[in-house]
Amino acid sequence: MVKNKGKLRICLAASAGGHISQLLKLAESWDDYETFCVTTTQVVRDKLSRFGEVYVVGECNREHPIRVVAVLMRCIRIVLRQRPDVVISTGAAAGCMLCFLGKMLGAKVVWIDSITNVERLSLSGRMVRYIADLFLVQWPELAGRYKRVEFVGTVV
Amino acid sequence: MIFLIVGTQFPFDRLVKAVDEVAGKNGFDERIVAQIGDSSYRPENFDAVPSVEKALFDRYFAEADSIISHAGMGTITMALDHRKPLLVMPRLKKYGEVVNDHQLALAGKFEQLGYLLVACQAEDVPGKMEQLKSFVPQKRQPSAEVVAARISTFLNELAQLKN
Repeated sequence: MVKNKGKLRICLAASAGGHISQLLKLAESWDDYETFCVTTTQVVRDKLSRFGEVYVVGECNREHPIRVVAVLMRCIRIVLRQRPDVVISTGAAAGCMLCFLGKMLGAKVVWIDSITNVERLSLSGRMVRYIADLFLVQWPELAGRYKRVEFVGTVV
Repeated sequence: MIFLIVGTQFPFDRLVKAVDEVAGKNGFDERIVAQIGDSSYRPENFDAVPSVEKALFDRYFAEADSIISHAGMGTITMALDHRKPLLVMPRLKKYGEVVNDHQLALAGKFEQLGYLLVACQAEDVPGKMEQLKSFVPQKRQPSAEVVAARISTFLNELAQLKN
């Protein structure tokens, strides 16, 4: 296979916990490309360090609007500096922000909705669906319920 | 040995307390090792630490006869990979344990599919811990490589366009 290193710069974005473990199961998909990572806590930094530079933006959710703004500012700095060609994310809030910010700068967006979303997409997923270039879910029922959503298999 | 895991970030007193009550009953003779994160409830019937370093965590996990935990995907995945009998208690929004009830939906679905046992309320814990002793989880076969291949195809097409 032709090596594509340098052709695409990929931002891997996942919150600590289940989001990261699901993202890591997909590592072979970006083997040939240059990557950097964004996550939410220092504790998980080591899990990602083999995929290039790791940025830690802090935890946030809709219950803490001020933290959301702080995380958003950090995410803006990261995309401006790194200019990714693709954002790949399994969620959650920070991943969602990076998808939107990346898209604004012309990046393609790949979203894998977490397996924990059984009955409907995650809140982040429902927003990212409108801008995603590839949107994967892990329950076949969900692919039937939403347009432009694919089920090909489960990550975990 | 039962390994009780609550996650390192958020407290989950409801689960720690429910397990402690079972462990305090006459005739309960299983050893419990507990990693209880930020929980403020201190169990009386077993030792608990806020967090366990990775190597030790993996050892406890491998040695455990069964696992009890919150319904976090990290622990669930690990238990399924190791084929460990697992009892989960979903964190619930109404107790302020999590921002939505996604853990409840996932746990319910996985219990239906025979992968794990679920205790939604503290009063379910004694009965479910009894069931856990003889519970044999269904084997789960994820297909991460298929998903990875789909993403690879997408990326390769994109890289070709950039040529």
